Amino acid sequence: MAVSTAPQELDQEAAALGRSEDAAATKRAKRGKLVRYLAMPGFLLLLNIATFLWLSGQDLDSIERRTLTADNLIGKAQEHVWLTLLSTTFVLLLAIPFGILATRPRYRRFAPGIIGLGNAGQAIPSFGMLALLFYLFRVTPWLPSTGTLPVVVALVGYSFLPILRNTMVGLDQVDRSVLEAGRGMGMSERRVLRRIELPLAVPVILAGIRTALVLNVGTATLAFLFGGGGLGDVVYNGLSLRRIPITIVGAVLVATLALLVDYIASLIEEKLTPKGL
Amino acid sequence: MSDIMIELKELTKRYPGTETPAVDRLTMEIPRGEIVVFVGPSGCGKTTSLKMINRIIEPTSGQIILDGEDVTDVNPDQLRRRIGYVIQQIGLFPHVTIEDNVATVPNLLGWDRDRTKARVDELLDVVGLDPDVYRNRYPKELSGGQRQRVGVARALAADPPVLLMDEPFGAIDPITRTRLQNEFLRLQQELKKTICFVTHDIDEAIKMGDRIAILQERSIPAQFATPEEILTQPANDFVADFVGSGSTLKRLKLTRVRDVNITTDALLGRIDEDKHVLRQRLQESDWTAMLLLDAEKRPSRWLRAPDFLHDRPVAEMGLPARAMIEPQATLSDALEEMLLGSAGVAIVVDGRGAFQGILDVDDIITSIQTMRDANAEFYRASKLIDPATAIA
Repeated sequence: MAVSTAPQELDQEAAALGRSEDAAATKRAKRGKLVRYLAMPGFLLLLNIATFLWLSGQDLDSIERRTLTADNLIGKAQEHVWLTLLSTTFVLLLAIPFGILATRPRYRRFAPGIIGLGNAGQAIPSFGMLALLFYLFRVTPWLPSTGTLPVVVALVGYSFLPILRNTMVGLDQVDRSVLEAGRGMGMSERRVLRRIELPLAVPVILAGIRTALVLNVGTATLAFLFGGGGLGDVVYNGLSLRRIPITIVGAVLVATLALLVDYIASLIEEKLTPKGL
Repeated sequence: MSDIMIELKELTKRYPGTETPAVDRLTMEIPRGEIVVFVGPSGCGKTTSLKMINRIIEPTSGQIILDGEDVTDVNPDQLRRRIGYVIQQIGLFPHVTIEDNVATVPNLLGWDRDRTKARVDELLDVVGLDPDVYRNRYPKELSGGQRQRVGVARALAADPPVLLMDEPFGAIDPITRTRLQNEFLRLQQELKKTICFVTHDIDEAIKMGDRIAILQERSIPAQFATPEEILTQPANDFVADFVGSGSTLKRLKLTRVRDVNITTDALLGRIDEDKHVLRQRLQESDWTAMLLLDAEKRPSRWLRAPDFLHDRPVAEMGLPARAMIEPQATLSDALEEMLLGSAGVAIVVDGRGAFQGILDVDDIITSIQTMRDANAEFYRASKLIDPATAIA
């Protein structure tokens, strides 16, 4: 029965071929993953080493030497990270619950308006928004016009919208039939939210948080406007004192921080995205 | 225990801002242990009617009585845990495993871990998915047909007496659909659930339903009767139109393989038997072909006398056995299998694939003949009596 066995043999061959291809693909994927994991830290390391080497070759004056100490730079970087984390934490606590509320049936009719506002809010330049807030804090007698608080308020205000919008979009894109199945089996509204909607919205919400984090790192550079510290001080010092090495070091550090935060956020995003999606 | 499992009384749904209600005073009694199919043109309100039973859609007025208890105003979440629910889009939770999907209702009911796990395995087995293979998979790793099996398993998890199914096989390719329908009917023979089934496909309704409700606009029943009655005695032009032509062919879908005489004494051999023994048995019999079964009694190959002329191992002689059907398949399915397998016979096997008998194309023709005679009988009879009473 050559006729009937031939296709079977072919099948087996194809299957064997498929298996070895699979194995090769897995190997490739693993290597690709490793490259992806190491690329960004490697790049940042090289960037900073290059800056350091370049700096060592420069003839620094006393102002530059005073500013560009490890202590000073680390301190500024810490302030920067602190401002970013503080504002991001606050904005998460505010924007995610608000986003959940705005997608509940009772308030759903407001959702398109809020999302529209969110999109528009993104178009406002951060510098303009901060300047406005700066003015607001100045003219309001009971508000401190300098320090951490105004910076955090400004950062929260600015990154509120992307997180809000992503929370709403994330919840909205969950397949209605999945929710109906959950409700139809007797899950309460709350349980459906906790067990189905939020986990399924996690990738989109996380993308929003990542955007907000990067925005906050960038915008926190403007904290010097309020005397809030951070790496913006270094850049601003460099600019106002016309010391190019200081400006460059400040800029490189801010860029490094922003890219590092984005990188870490991407790892967290990957980790927290539910399997099966 | 009354024989009525679900009773709908004047059930009405009126959406705000619309003149006519979507469902208008639907009154219906659904007998315990039967499959009642709601069928009708799109927009007739059949899905709305179904979804009012578990109050996914809250009725505007009317009453729902479940097993003698008025559930119109009870806590809907509690109510739904007593009613299995299967929808066309299946709605598996994509972020959890098959096991956790099936365990949804047991978890809601607070079953302990071991009981839930045992139940999940049992159900996956029941719907034909190997628990060891599928338990830890995610929905996206399954085919459409497999997902719907999981959907059915999930609905059955807490062993609810009632199942609501909204076009459950609607989004599945025709071949898989037929298979799932047959499997489901086999399952129902054991489970004896009370099932409400919505479809827009009259053929599916005839195949699946113990009773069919043909619904017109606003979910007004045009006829609520057994498939036989609907085919032979359509209550009005709407039903006749909806059922359409080719009613003899449709009736092939009514008759199941288990209802006709199949040949159970076919000439059999085992695949591990000696070639000469097999040859002798074939020669001494009146049969022109012999069916070889494997160790699990599953049909494996067809042998004819000329096949013995070639020198081959028994397992490679003759032709592979095709066209296998299960007893709950309809004659229409069987005919299709025969045509596909171009064999002229179909092999009847049980749920595990073990041989039960052989169905010949002649058996089907005989069956069509009987139906024709019955039809002719019916039409002769209906001319003699008053048309008005014939409808009633």
